[in-house]
Amino acid sequence: MDELELLKKDWKAREKDLPRLKASEIYPMLLKKSSSIVKWIFIISIIELALSTFLNIYLADDEFWAQVKNIHFKNVMIGIYIFSYLATGVFIFLFYKNYKNISTTDSASQLMKNILKTRRVVKYYILYVLVSSGITMILYFVFSIMYPPAGSGIDPEKLNWGWALLIAIGVTLLFLTLLWLFYLLVYGILLRKLKRNYKELKKLEL
Amino acid sequence: MKKELENTFVQLLEKNQNIVHKVCRIYTNDQDSHNDLFQEITIQLWKAYPKFRGDAKFSTWMYRVALNTAITLYRKQKRAPKTQDYESVHYKISASGYDDTIEQQLKVMYAAVKELNDIDKALVFLYLEDKNYREISETLGISEVNARVKMNRIKNKLKNILNP
Repeated sequence: MDELELLKKDWKAREKDLPRLKASEIYPMLLKKSSSIVKWIFIISIIELALSTFLNIYLADDEFWAQVKNIHFKNVMIGIYIFSYLATGVFIFLFYKNYKNISTTDSASQLMKNILKTRRVVKYYILYVLVSSGITMILYFVFSIMYPPAGSGIDPEKLNWGWALLIAIGVTLLFLTLLWLFYLLVYGILLRKLKRNYKELKKLEL
Repeated sequence: MKKELENTFVQLLEKNQNIVHKVCRIYTNDQDSHNDLFQEITIQLWKAYPKFRGDAKFSTWMYRVALNTAITLYRKQKRAPKTQDYESVHYKISASGYDDTIEQQLKVMYAAVKELNDIDKALVFLYLEDKNYREISETLGISEVNARVKMNRIKNKLKNILNP
C-alpha cells in the first residue's frame, strides 16, 4: 500500500481517541485574551507610530524656535513640519487600511501577505522619520555654522567646511544607525516565523 | 442577540471540534501546547464568526481559520523534541530481525511529518483529511500544480525514509 494511504487509514482510525470538550468548557474560552501576533503587531506598531510622530513633530519648544529664528532656519523648519504632518497622516491612514484587511478567513498566502504589508508601512514610516530627521539635523548644523551665535568664536568664512560636514554626517549616521538597529531587533523577533513560512509558501511560485 | 450568536457558535464548535483537535495534534508536541493552540483557534474562530455568512460549510471555514492560526498567528510553539530519530528506528527493526511492522512504519512517518515545516504540515494534514487538490490549493493560496508538486516531494521523502 502507498505509504501516505497507510498514514491516512491510521489517521482516520485515531479520530475516536481525540479529546472531547463539552460546551460548558468551550464557553469560557471565548472570553480569554488572544496571543496572536496580529494583536502584537498592532500594539507595537501603534507605539512605534506614536513615538516616531512625537520625535518627528512634537519635540520643538519655545527655546527651540528661538534658536531656529536666530540661525535664519525658521521658514525651512516650518516647511519641514508641514510636510511631516502630511506624511504622518498618509502613513497612519495606510497602516489602518492594511490592518483592517487582515482576515483569518483568507487563504494562508493572502493572510501572510496582508500581515507583512501592514508591517511594511510601519517599516517605511520609521525609515522616512530616520531619513528626514537626518537631513534636518544636517541642515540645522549647516545653518548653525553659517549664522554662529556671537562670541562663539566660529567664523564661517574661515571654517573648513569639508571637515565640518563630515563630522555632522558622521554623528547623524551613528545616531540613526543605533535607532535603526533597535528597530530591526523588534521587527525581526516578531515576524521571524511568519517570514519563514511565507518564503516556504512562495518558493514554488517563482 | 449576542447570546444567541454565542450559543449557535459554541454548538457548532462542539459538534466540529475534532477538526481543531486534529490541527493541534499536527502542530503541537505536548498536551499543554495542544490546549493553548486549541484556545487560540477558538478565539480566532469566534472573532471571525460574525462575518461567516454560511456560503461555505462551517467545517470548511473552520479548516481555514484553524490552519491560519497554527501556521501564521500562533507564537507560543515549542520546538519538536528530537526523541524520534527515524533512521535509528529503522536500523533497530532490521538489526533485531523483525519485519517492518506497520506500527513501526506509522511511528516513523508521524515523526517525519512532525519534522516538516508548517506549510508542508498543512498540505499533509489536508491530504489526510481527504481534501482534493483544488481545496488544498484554495486553502493555502497556491496553485493546484504547486500543491501537487509539493505533495509529491513529501511522498518521496516519506518513501525514502521508510526504504533508505
